[in-house]
Amino acid sequence: MDQKTTKQKNIHNVLYWGLPVLAVALIVVGWIAFSGAHPELMPSPLQVWQRFLKTFTKPIAKTTLLGHAWASLRRVLLALLVSWAFGISFGILIGWNKKARAFFGSIFEVIRPIPPIAWIPIIIMWFGIGEFPKILLVFIGTFVPLVINTSTGIEMVDRINIHVGRIFGGNDGQILKDIVIPTALPSIFAGIRTSVSSGWTTVLAAEMLGANAGLGSLVTRGWQGSDLSLVMVAVITIAIIGALLSTILQKLEKVVCPWND
Amino acid sequence: MERLEKRMEVKDLTKTFFNKKGYFTAIEDVSLDVYDGEFLVILGPGRCGKTVLLNILSGLDEQTGGTVIYNGKEWKGINPEIGMVFQKLALMPFKTVIENVELALKFRSMEKQKRREISRYYIDLVGLKGFEDYYPKQLSGGMQQRVGIARAYAADPKLLIMDEPFGKLDAQTRYQMQEDLLKIWEKEKRTIIFVTNNIEEACYLGDRIILLSDCPAKVKAVYPIEMPRPRDMVSKEFLDLRTVISDNTDLSI
Amino acid sequence: MEKQDLGAQLIAWRQEQKKESIRYVLLSIAGICSVLAIWQAAAMLGLVDAKLLPAPTKILETLIFKLGNKAPDGNVLGMNIMASLRVALSGFLTAIVIGVPLGLLMGWWTYADRFIRPIFELVRPVPPIAWIPLVVVWMGVGLKAKALIIFFTAFVPCVINSYTGIKLTSRTLIDVSRTFGAPNHEIFWKVGVPSSLPMVFAGIRVALGNSWSTLVAAEMLAASAGLGYMIQIGRTVARPDIVIVGMVVIGGIGAVLSLILSRAERYFLRWKVDR
Repeated sequence: MDQKTTKQKNIHNVLYWGLPVLAVALIVVGWIAFSGAHPELMPSPLQVWQRFLKTFTKPIAKTTLLGHAWASLRRVLLALLVSWAFGISFGILIGWNKKARAFFGSIFEVIRPIPPIAWIPIIIMWFGIGEFPKILLVFIGTFVPLVINTSTGIEMVDRINIHVGRIFGGNDGQILKDIVIPTALPSIFAGIRTSVSSGWTTVLAAEMLGANAGLGSLVTRGWQGSDLSLVMVAVITIAIIGALLSTILQKLEKVVCPWND
Repeated sequence: MERLEKRMEVKDLTKTFFNKKGYFTAIEDVSLDVYDGEFLVILGPGRCGKTVLLNILSGLDEQTGGTVIYNGKEWKGINPEIGMVFQKLALMPFKTVIENVELALKFRSMEKQKRREISRYYIDLVGLKGFEDYYPKQLSGGMQQRVGIARAYAADPKLLIMDEPFGKLDAQTRYQMQEDLLKIWEKEKRTIIFVTNNIEEACYLGDRIILLSDCPAKVKAVYPIEMPRPRDMVSKEFLDLRTVISDNTDLSI
Repeated sequence: MEKQDLGAQLIAWRQEQKKESIRYVLLSIAGICSVLAIWQAAAMLGLVDAKLLPAPTKILETLIFKLGNKAPDGNVLGMNIMASLRVALSGFLTAIVIGVPLGLLMGWWTYADRFIRPIFELVRPVPPIAWIPLVVVWMGVGLKAKALIIFFTAFVPCVINSYTGIKLTSRTLIDVSRTFGAPNHEIFWKVGVPSSLPMVFAGIRVALGNSWSTLVAAEMLAASAGLGYMIQIGRTVARPDIVIVGMVVIGGIGAVLSLILSRAERYFLRWKVDR
């Protein structure tokens, strides 16, 4: 009996730790096999690594991989600062004030279903392909989730919390600042998280459709120049930065909302 | 019982709610007096009426009929002299204990040092010294309700309304809280309106009990209690009172 | 108070409610109308360049024109809509069919989780748009290629939500079923799956939004028909009216799709009564 359970435990341990290793191994082997059979469709891991190193010695469009990554990040961060300020305030406004919700909310509801990427052509027509139009696009892409999350968060605040505020003599402004907004903070933060990933996607799309710098422009450049290794380097960098951003935000949320676990 | 000053008079209070399907009367023609310094218990068996009544007394809601007279004057809207302990606690999860307690003082724009001092006194009074910087989630149910009581006291109300404050606590904690509440009240005398659906709790705490009927809530009877405190819950006097009230109570299950 | 009196009060209350809701509807309409009016006035007074932002009336004209006319992108509006819908729905539906069961599986059986998770976590952070070049190189610009890109974007939320949904199944329900001797796979079907449905639907809703938005990107980068293609051509031939018509139609269809989905959700989750 005892022996059997130990044996079962062993099998469990092998599967538990072996399966993830197996999965990763399968990906690597699959990649190597695929690139070996069709080198024109897929560069091998080694080629991608070499291409990665080359981005530092032989700059593309006058800058290294890091320069391109920074170009993309800068656009996202600038746009985020603006959209956090405007999106959260607007969300609070339409979540708190019913009349404002009816008047501005309807306009927002009409614009909201248009995906940020669908704005790219018209914005290029209006403003060309410089920095401003890209930041504007990212702003559009990040504004919508922020407004939705913030206004829903504000609306969902339990009435009893507002009662508490009124009983203890708070005026509307104090209740909003001391009770309603902090109560909605986790929801606002969810909006911030969505806005970051949405912004990261939008900046890529904007860069892929016309830019001299940025990771998205590297993807297009590699694609058009049949340099698939470069495409892979750019895609992997994009993925790593995206994952880093979302980890940082998770950490940040614990700092901003310590009561919420 | 000596005639005390009336802190509040409630006359023929009625509240009817309307909705798409029709209307529903939660309280009907409720009249009662609240004397200065007394511990008044409103005992209601039903699901409806109690919170509605309190919300009108405190000014959170508006009646459809009748009047509330406070200190001899008809009153409508939020009354700054009334404090409240809520049934669902309604502590702010994002505020620490002391930040919750000082809420009313902060709203009055009192300077930080002074409001902290006052809050500390009441936190100490309810027996939570040392827990000032905890978040409500880190406290037990009984401790959370203590924060609610301290918060209400810190606002320095003349009249304190408590809406089934111990309803969600287990029996053991409940007894402890009842005892402690009386101690706090002896030390910091306020007029209290305490609402409960528990007959024993009503008999243990109240100077007077106002018994409400089931929906719509009406005043069914008023019981003054002359027993000295602390009351013995197994004394004959206590049990007799309990039986009398219990026989007069509408069942609601 | 008299009963009749209450009846009269009820009628008054209903009228007041009606007035109130009409007031808000009017306010909503006023919001949209004022934007349109400012836009129209700006265009008519020449405050904005008509080559960049044509008046709303012009947009409406172009919309009607596009219904029966192939210029400038080679397809009438209806064809473009059909092309886009076909791509979006095939990718979206495939993602549901594969993603939801996968997520449920991972959430219920630890070994499935251990095996699939690493692969999933490697793929997840890649924005779907970044797949476009690779997929085009592999498969060209046909329906399958675009559907695959849509699949990537819709797949991730389907998996994550199904996984979380089934993980949140109440421990009590599972234990009760176990006490009654139900085998694990039966508990999976009868307890785990139903209780995960609200989360699954939330995931599907996100997936739909992603699909529709990524579709535009896919069509702008590589296509010969579709709404994304139409607005891209509109840009290259400097026809802002075509671009804006495209945006309006994209937005409109997106809204209709999500409406259909929420109706379906209400139907499937009708047992889940709020309060």
